[in-house]
Amino acid sequence: MRSLLFILLFLVPIPAVAQESEPLSVGVKGFVDTYHALRSGADHDWMSSRSRVRGELTLSKGGAGAFVSANMVYNSLLKERSGLQVREAYMWCGNEHWDLRAGRQIVTWGVADGLRVTDIISPMDYSEFLAQDYDDIRIPVNGLRLRYIRDRWNLEVVAVPVASFFELPVDDANPWSVVPRDMGVPVVMDMGAEPLRKFENMEFGTRLSMFLSGVDFSLSALRTWNKMPVFSTTFDGTNLVATGNYRRMTMLGADVSLPLGEFVIRVEGAQYFDEAQTPASGLDIPRSGSLNALLGIDWYAGNDWNLSAQYSYKFIEDFTPLMSGTEHTHMGTFRISKSLLNNTLSLQSFAYMDLTDGGIYNRFTADYALNDQMHIMLGYDLFHADKGMFKMYADNSEYWLKLKYSF
Amino acid sequence: MKAKMFLSALFSVMAVMPLSAQNLSGRDIMQKAKDLPDGDTRYAEMELTLIKKNGDKRVRKVTSWSVDEGKDKKSLMFFTYPGDVSGTGFLTWDYDEIGKDDDKWLYLPAMKKTRRISGSSSKTDYFMGTDFTYNDMGSRNVDEDEHKLLREEDRDGQKCWVIESVPVDKHEIYSRKVTWIRQDCCVPVYVEFYDKLDKLHRALSISEISQVQGFWTKQRMEMKNVQTGHSTVINVLNPKYDLQIDKSMFTVAKLEKGL
Repeated sequence: MRSLLFILLFLVPIPAVAQESEPLSVGVKGFVDTYHALRSGADHDWMSSRSRVRGELTLSKGGAGAFVSANMVYNSLLKERSGLQVREAYMWCGNEHWDLRAGRQIVTWGVADGLRVTDIISPMDYSEFLAQDYDDIRIPVNGLRLRYIRDRWNLEVVAVPVASFFELPVDDANPWSVVPRDMGVPVVMDMGAEPLRKFENMEFGTRLSMFLSGVDFSLSALRTWNKMPVFSTTFDGTNLVATGNYRRMTMLGADVSLPLGEFVIRVEGAQYFDEAQTPASGLDIPRSGSLNALLGIDWYAGNDWNLSAQYSYKFIEDFTPLMSGTEHTHMGTFRISKSLLNNTLSLQSFAYMDLTDGGIYNRFTADYALNDQMHIMLGYDLFHADKGMFKMYADNSEYWLKLKYSF
Repeated sequence: MKAKMFLSALFSVMAVMPLSAQNLSGRDIMQKAKDLPDGDTRYAEMELTLIKKNGDKRVRKVTSWSVDEGKDKKSLMFFTYPGDVSGTGFLTWDYDEIGKDDDKWLYLPAMKKTRRISGSSSKTDYFMGTDFTYNDMGSRNVDEDEHKLLREEDRDGQKCWVIESVPVDKHEIYSRKVTWIRQDCCVPVYVEFYDKLDKLHRALSISEISQVQGFWTKQRMEMKNVQTGHSTVINVLNPKYDLQIDKSMFTVAKLEKGL
């Protein structure tokens, strides 16, 4: 009984006292932006035309709080994407040694920038491929995250009862549609049936992160699914029907960040066990392990110049003719940015390079701050590919304009 | 607490009083200025006003905490204004040892991501578009420069030492700096930074120097780039010293939690 009283004294009164003594803190922020993109090729058709209001509300009192982030969108091209969209909505509680976050949230793991090795909990929204801001591309997951926090390390446990999956544009009206147009027969894409909403299909994982003098590193493990559907194809007499499939897999990974003078070296690696692979034909989904690795170098060159290069590699084990695609996949990214006029003007080039098949997607951005609240951004998205992952967007090079008012 | 404040104030007076009577070197004076008591922990809100040559202004607001760990210092800072950078946080473990790079992390709320950033090169970069470099904003080991006492003279009615400091590392953005340090409290009041061609590049004026909880506090700093006409004013608001701050405040987990 005394030990129970001891536990109650330790657990209950701390937030109770804090709630009485601290006022409710309310924070509101957000932005209004409008984005328009015009194909630079012969058609000069609009690739995107949308406006939105982003609102973010933070409530906190004592050791607990809540956060809600939502978009109100008007999309002139993709009307079904207009409307109110809740992005994140979660609550948290905790103290200096632990915290719990419950609800719809973005979970970010790893040290890669724009590529995915261990960062595979929150899936991606490719409805406009990569031509959206990166924070818009991440899809929040509806789950729990518990962290045990020490000065130089954290232990994180994540549980997602119902997993979320990639969003791919399969509507022909969308210029970013992933439906192949050069197959000789019409192609119908079906995202397929997501896993049953059952307890045993829950996604869960853990990550141990160390933050030391001169080096950070993490170890991670995740029981998950292939979030990007693997498509199997059948011919129904008229159409080639591609159906998405989802299978269980396990990931074990590690990442390191190592600052060396003006440079930061980033390394990330993961083994995916029993990963679903794209079948060459038919319905059976082959399963095989894969090795995934990334090496990144950031150079803080001074005078507001920043350069960053990444190379990623995927190796599918026991590759057989029953699988389509390639046994070895190589990708790269290169970023160069420079701030000018006391950070009023920022220039950036960020390129994804398909090193397996050749091909590039390069986003050039000029961002000028008109004042404290308002930015005008001009850019050009360059696609160039004869084959490989960027080929379907080879004609999608575009000019774009964005205005953003932050509050 | 009051006794500690009194002792700190007494120490600062005792530390400064004998200076005028001694034959001090430039290094001694710079070390005294660096060692001026400022509590074991500190908190402040800062308003940074960036002023273009034509008078146009932009404002940045930050909230910061710091704690001493021996000669090293840990600090945590969050931007609170304007909206597009609000929530962006910096965590720094600042080492006094010469040659040892600081540990630095940057949290970007839009990306929900913490990045490890270089602890060395960014010191000579300008801080978020201001006219202050990261080096100006942080603490610097006295032996990273060679110091020479040039003269004693009055500035704004205060008797000052004038000290020239030449960086040992030739990669610094200035070739030398000249600092005016008040003799009564050992606080710098004016600094001139010269470029590699030995032309005046930036001038820092420090004013509204007063004691807060017994600690000498600089509450207004204006850095003017005399070559471009751009300037930055930092107003320090609501400074506090010797707060009870848990060590967990200076961790990546706290950086990701935000304010």
